Amino acid sequence: MTTRTAPAPPAKLVVAAATGRMSSLRGATGACLALLDRDLRAFLRSRSQVYSSVLLPLMLLAILGTGVSDGLEPSSAIIRDGDYVSYLAPGMIAMTALFSSTFSSASFYRDRDNGVLRTLLASPHHARTILLGKSLAAVLIGSVQALAILGIAVLVPGIDFAWQYGWLGGAAIAVAGVLTLNLLLSGFALAVSTRIRSMQGFHLVMNLVLFPLLFLSGAFFPLDTLPDWLRILGWLNPLTYAVDLLQTSAYAASNEGFFGPWIDLAVLSALALLLFGLALGRAPKAT
Amino acid sequence: MSDTDSSALRLAGATYRHPAPTSDGGDEGVSRGVEDVSLSVAAGEVLGLLGPNGSGKSTVLSLVAGFLQPQSGVVEVLGAPVSAAASPAVRRRLGVVFQDASIDPMMTVGETLRLHGRLFGLGGARLRGQIDVLLARMGLSDRAGDRVETLSGGLRRRVELARAVLHEPALLLLDEPSLGLDPDSRSALWDLLDGVRAEGAAMLLATNDVGEAERACDRVAFLQAGRVVTTGTPSDLRRALRHDSVRVEWRTAPADVESRLAAMTGVGAVRAARLADGGTTLHVTVDDASAFVPALFALAGSNGSNGPGGIAGIRIRESTLEDAYFQQVGVPLQGEPLLGEPLQGSTEAAAAANGRHS
Repeated sequence: MTTRTAPAPPAKLVVAAATGRMSSLRGATGACLALLDRDLRAFLRSRSQVYSSVLLPLMLLAILGTGVSDGLEPSSAIIRDGDYVSYLAPGMIAMTALFSSTFSSASFYRDRDNGVLRTLLASPHHARTILLGKSLAAVLIGSVQALAILGIAVLVPGIDFAWQYGWLGGAAIAVAGVLTLNLLLSGFALAVSTRIRSMQGFHLVMNLVLFPLLFLSGAFFPLDTLPDWLRILGWLNPLTYAVDLLQTSAYAASNEGFFGPWIDLAVLSALALLLFGLALGRAPKAT
Repeated sequence: MSDTDSSALRLAGATYRHPAPTSDGGDEGVSRGVEDVSLSVAAGEVLGLLGPNGSGKSTVLSLVAGFLQPQSGVVEVLGAPVSAAASPAVRRRLGVVFQDASIDPMMTVGETLRLHGRLFGLGGARLRGQIDVLLARMGLSDRAGDRVETLSGGLRRRVELARAVLHEPALLLLDEPSLGLDPDSRSALWDLLDGVRAEGAAMLLATNDVGEAERACDRVAFLQAGRVVTTGTPSDLRRALRHDSVRVEWRTAPADVESRLAAMTGVGAVRAARLADGGTTLHVTVDDASAFVPALFALAGSNGSNGPGGIAGIRIRESTLEDAYFQQVGVPLQGEPLLGEPLQGSTEAAAAANGRHS
């Protein structure tokens, strides 16, 4: 004879719970795809965002690149043949990712202010799934823009990439690096946006953080000739590893003076995971 | 089980206190949360939540939607308790219309509905068909490709409503859905809601429009300072109030009319009376105007010089749900005085009526 210590839950609920678990992953994927679709459409619709994201790095390459190459004649060993345009190109790719993913993440504030976030959170998904879906869109948009700059740089005759890992290998490393960088940046933007209430505050913090990071990343000048204290700050800068990766995969002829793509990828992935975990740990409020 | 099976929503002793606001913005309209709220909505029923701003209506809706977790008590939607973990599954069968516009102006009407459908696991031909049907019902078929920013406020609300019912929810949460709508949009909104209701969906309607509550709700609950003050059908609440006001215009009022009115007893008994306009107008508050008026004629008729013809006109204003609301909650909803004009002794009348209820 068996005795029951607790009544069995009603059959209907058990079935509902089981189907719920089975379909929750598929449901979450579907939700992320739907959000991705929406943010991509919004991005493509905003022509100014599309054009400016590509034009700014190209203008900088043309003006700053030519100006420094011809006007200052850089002598650092890392800048091959004093050709600053080619040296600058990987940094511009990183910069594009930087600006793009923070711009995309500002859509979190737009959604919150026009009430869309509420309706998304009223859907049958965890707040984390919604944030993840929105971040994936930011990652994709940022990556496509950054890789578009890489593509254009390859086509410009004046830019000389060495492709030390071969054309295909270098491109694969660059794509992996750009994706990881965007993931990191989206995670950072997300962590900031779930903690700072106003969009003005968000942009202030992003500018305060991103500009020093950009200038101290090796994007505009090599870090190895800097005074120790500045060089150490550079090493602490996550963006340094993204620029390093793009420089070693496309621009550099050897890894001398660089961290090399494997260290870069390891650092970037670890930071991306950390920041995403931090960001998703704090779900936004619907009300 | 039969109890939970038939109930779309059940709150039992649900309490949620909002954390104290960081900025000192005063108490007016700021919800402190809800305290020991017990409510139930049966399948297919419409329950109105009536209360002034800050009385906790939106907090109740947030608890039901799983945005907030009760600090004590139970919230059950469609027989399943709402918890942090379970709320996504519960929300699959909930539709929500928020108080403030909650729609992306840059998306088209069709995109808005498609995104929502996909978030609720719909897709393909079924979703397309459902969107077409809803757009037709809302009179928006020709606007599917238009951006939301080109729509009027009323049309945007219709899109939001279409979105809320797209996934055929069993329980619809409506937070002041007709706020700021013109009469046309309002009636379109209620036509659609009537249709949704006919299909068996239950609704929880938070509003501070008593007329709307009276028209739309099977039952209403009055909320004040986070507590449910009373619950009942609109007609029960009105009847319980027994608080009609009558204005009588005389050519010449009988000299001793006030003392004679005071002597009236029974259901037609006068709770308060006041002569105005030099004795030609009499304002009376009575339990039941239909019993008072014949008694008034009898009184007027017994006055030799002043037969029934001495009364030039009678205007009766029966008690409304708003009067009942005012009596229970004590704050007029629309800022209008309760009975048009102040009544002498109305405080006592209210106190007497209160005595009956408490």
